[in-house]
Amino acid sequence: MRRPGLILTALSLAVLGIYLFVTAPPALPEASAEPLGVVPIEQVLQTVAAENDIVRALYTAEIVTKGTEAGLLYDEDWRDEGVDAGPLPALFLREAARSLQANPLPVGLFLGSDFPISPANRFEGAQAEVFERIKQNREPEYFYAEDTGQYTAMFPDVAGVAGCVSCHNDHVDSPKTDWQLDDVMGAATWSYTKPAVSQAEYLRIVAAVRQSFRDAYARYVEKTSTFESQPELGERWPEQGFYLPSVDVFMEEFGRRASAATVERLLVEADSVAT
Amino acid sequence: MIAPRTHQPSQRRRVYVLAAVVPILALGVLVMPGRERLRAAGPANTGHEQLDCAQCHTAADGTVRQQVQANARHLIGLRASGAAFLHNPVENEDCTACHQNDDDRHPVYRFNEPRFAEVRATVAPQNCVSCHAEHTGRRVTAEATVCSNCHVDMEIREDPIEPSHAQLALREDWPSCLQCHDFHGNHVRDTPQRLDDAPSTAEVLRYLAGGPPIYGDQVRFPATTERVTQ
Repeated sequence: MRRPGLILTALSLAVLGIYLFVTAPPALPEASAEPLGVVPIEQVLQTVAAENDIVRALYTAEIVTKGTEAGLLYDEDWRDEGVDAGPLPALFLREAARSLQANPLPVGLFLGSDFPISPANRFEGAQAEVFERIKQNREPEYFYAEDTGQYTAMFPDVAGVAGCVSCHNDHVDSPKTDWQLDDVMGAATWSYTKPAVSQAEYLRIVAAVRQSFRDAYARYVEKTSTFESQPELGERWPEQGFYLPSVDVFMEEFGRRASAATVERLLVEADSVAT
Repeated sequence: MIAPRTHQPSQRRRVYVLAAVVPILALGVLVMPGRERLRAAGPANTGHEQLDCAQCHTAADGTVRQQVQANARHLIGLRASGAAFLHNPVENEDCTACHQNDDDRHPVYRFNEPRFAEVRATVAPQNCVSCHAEHTGRRVTAEATVCSNCHVDMEIREDPIEPSHAQLALREDWPSCLQCHDFHGNHVRDTPQRLDDAPSTAEVLRYLAGGPPIYGDQVRFPATTERVTQ
């Protein structure tokens, strides 16, 4: 009785071994088939943060500030029906962040402060401590957020335009009313899930971030179609009157201001990888 | 003296046959097409009653054998990653494939910011299913006090409501948040300025449990019945 049992067991194990380890069907690809990263994530996040600074400055100065002078409105409830307004600069960034979330690349973007208009955006805990260092040194800070597995960078968000200061000082919910130009008003937090990426992935991240800027501006342009008094869309900017640049014109101007520096960064990093 | 009860060989065989056939038949019924609901972990949540299982439980890549092999190899270190078995785990993207809200007041991704580490450890708001656990027959599974995890400082410079936000927080009346505020902000409505004008706490609790709507019927971003990929 023992012998047949032994044979059956051996046979079963053999069949199981064949089923499990003989690769009759092609093996499933690994979860991540990306080549090993060569570009440190810090450099990648520096690039996208620099692009973000440029689009924020462009939107704040040329759209919000000049647009307000031309009779356009910008409001925190800009999305609500019947509110004929566009997003304030911080909300423009939030729109970009929302668009990034829809992208398969795990890029995170957040904006916070120690004195935000909305209490929900106030830094807490370890992030508040990091922000204290940023305010003192005015330099970005890098750290790894263990629970989310995110390589994170916080970049100072400096009041570069008078509109930032006056809007925050005058806002009814602002907990601080003595902001001045050049103050570190907050920080933009960028994150990614890898310590380093391939150059191809680096380019895809930059492309995804640029697409998020396009999406954010496009949402504003789309909302203007519901305005009672609609600004003319096209080549002209609010500086010239009740106009708004089209999405392509806005992004062309952004590219003109940002691309040279970004290409320079990419070349320097490609060179350092090659050597 | 009572004689010990014995089974005849034929009786015993019948018991064995029954013991083998009944589970096989039950299994057969369960795996029959159209009986997926019988295999569900519980009743569908509010609004999900008519969904096909596959709308959330998407099929994993590869054949069953490929999936088993990938996991066996991963287990003994011959492969860096395992593989989903039969179905992919249900993630936020499976929810947003139908529930897209371009103006979500509490989008889950925002909770991935470092400052939410503490609340991630307790209520994990970065995952849709932390508040909307499926197969519970409810609309919301989070407690009505969930807001207290983040909204600690309720002092507002020119608070327009009566009683004030700070007073409500002081008396720890956290369910009152949801009396006035629609968590995801997806309903077309004016936020009440007085608690007396808002739905009652009991109505809020019934709503979370799957009861009648309390924020009106008009939504800004209706859920689709088919998955939408961006």
